[in-house]
Amino acid sequence: MARIEVNHLKYRYPHTENLALDGVSFQIEPGEFIGIIGKNGSGKSTLCQAFTGLIPNFYRGAYGGNVKIGEINVRDVEVDELCQKVGIVFQNPFNQITGSKLTVYDEIAFGLENLGLSRKEMIRRIDDALEQLDITRFRDRNPFDLSGGQMQRMAIASIIAMNPEIIILDEPTSQLDPQGSEEVFKAVQRLSQKGITIIMVEHKMEKIAAYSDRVMLLDEGKMIDFDTPQKIFSRDDLLEHGVLPPAFTRIGRGLDRKNAATGEYPVTLKEAKEALEGMAV
Amino acid sequence: MKSISLYEEKNSTLNHLDSGCKMLYMVAAILVPALIGNKWANVAVIILSVFLLAISKVLRKTVPVLSVSGIVILTIVIIQGMFRAGNTTVVLQLGPAAFYKEGLLYSLGIALNVFNILLAICVLIFTTKPSDMVENFIEKGFSPRLGYVFISIFQIIPQMMETMNTITDAQRSRGMETEGSLLVRIKAFLPLISPVVMSSLVDTKERAIALEVRGFNAKTKKTFLNERKVTTTDKIINLLLIAAVLASVAWRVKLWLG
Repeated sequence: MARIEVNHLKYRYPHTENLALDGVSFQIEPGEFIGIIGKNGSGKSTLCQAFTGLIPNFYRGAYGGNVKIGEINVRDVEVDELCQKVGIVFQNPFNQITGSKLTVYDEIAFGLENLGLSRKEMIRRIDDALEQLDITRFRDRNPFDLSGGQMQRMAIASIIAMNPEIIILDEPTSQLDPQGSEEVFKAVQRLSQKGITIIMVEHKMEKIAAYSDRVMLLDEGKMIDFDTPQKIFSRDDLLEHGVLPPAFTRIGRGLDRKNAATGEYPVTLKEAKEALEGMAV
Repeated sequence: MKSISLYEEKNSTLNHLDSGCKMLYMVAAILVPALIGNKWANVAVIILSVFLLAISKVLRKTVPVLSVSGIVILTIVIIQGMFRAGNTTVVLQLGPAAFYKEGLLYSLGIALNVFNILLAICVLIFTTKPSDMVENFIEKGFSPRLGYVFISIFQIIPQMMETMNTITDAQRSRGMETEGSLLVRIKAFLPLISPVVMSSLVDTKERAIALEVRGFNAKTKKTFLNERKVTTTDKIINLLLIAAVLASVAWRVKLWLG
């Protein structure tokens, strides 16, 4: 399994003045669930695309430092080579449909056909991906006729079928209704339990807090902090960085109830319950 | 979702036939009568095409195709029948308008040719999945990128039409008039079309990236999920079609030499 190593990554989009990423360095261990938070324009999506080699190989622009996936330096390989190691799912499920396939089953096959896999292997992987994302019953539907949540799960299945070690989700639920979001989160959690490294950008802080092993806080292209959800959401300057902590943390802060052992505010319902227990109502 | 593809899955004999076979039929159906140069050959092939369309249960779908071209053909018949140079034998006199035998026979030849070509194309288009056809081409060395463009058109265009409808509704709900006289429609056109174009451009970029991360540009040789089954029947039909084309070429050559 591949470890991700980012060293002094700097990037500027073509025809722009400001750095979208400004000297970011960190490491991610195999199998971790990483949440990336920050306000709009803080460089979250740019960072996501830097993992896949879309930056700089698709967008061009000015690039400094390096991103290493295992032994591979992302900058030196083509996107199609890296896509078997790192998969990415975008915000809009609609625009991830290729439009050249008439059924969900064929749609998932698209990437596998490009990789030149044998038919037997394709069928095995597609069946497996459908199963994992719980969309087997839609296999013969037209991809455009699915609901948003189903479509997004199909997009994830299409990526899963390519067997990546790392999956990047760039605001996968921002265009979905609560039920659709929940379906997607459940699916992502299952993938994480299988040992796939997950990197997720998300504005729903409660979800980030509940699922992430570590959370990265970005602001204006700089990495402000990269630590456990409890540490990140207990920071006093979160609002200055444009992030509203989870409701449970705000309750804990408002009532001044910290976890006795760690001295951090609660970030999930369970932690909040523990922190508030024994309080007179 | 509404598809603009004319193909319809009817589980017919022709649906199960290999796409290459049907393409060859289309070519042969156009070439053979042209080479033989006889109206009866045209008539025979038209009957064959109609028969094939009928057993594939798509004969009714040819009606709009034929009626549109029928109008054009009708004008040809009228003009050639009345005014063709060399018209001498009157066959029909309608008041001042006289129809001549020579002109009518000539336009009949054109009509038969046009209908033959249309029906032969219909046999292919109505019974073949576009993606099967394109995959067949890609396997033979056609560019997968162009292939993608051809197949995706069938889904992307209806998508854009749907976007257009959404935008029309949105603009109308803000009080824009989109129906009425020509002037009103022209005025409505720009505010309607520009968001469609802009959103399509954004969509296209996003889709290009989505394709990229699924290995669209991979240099390995593409494989296909759907197996192309060329059965013995397909092979026999192919051979017969090629034989028919060759025979008519021989016939033509013999005519020239003799």
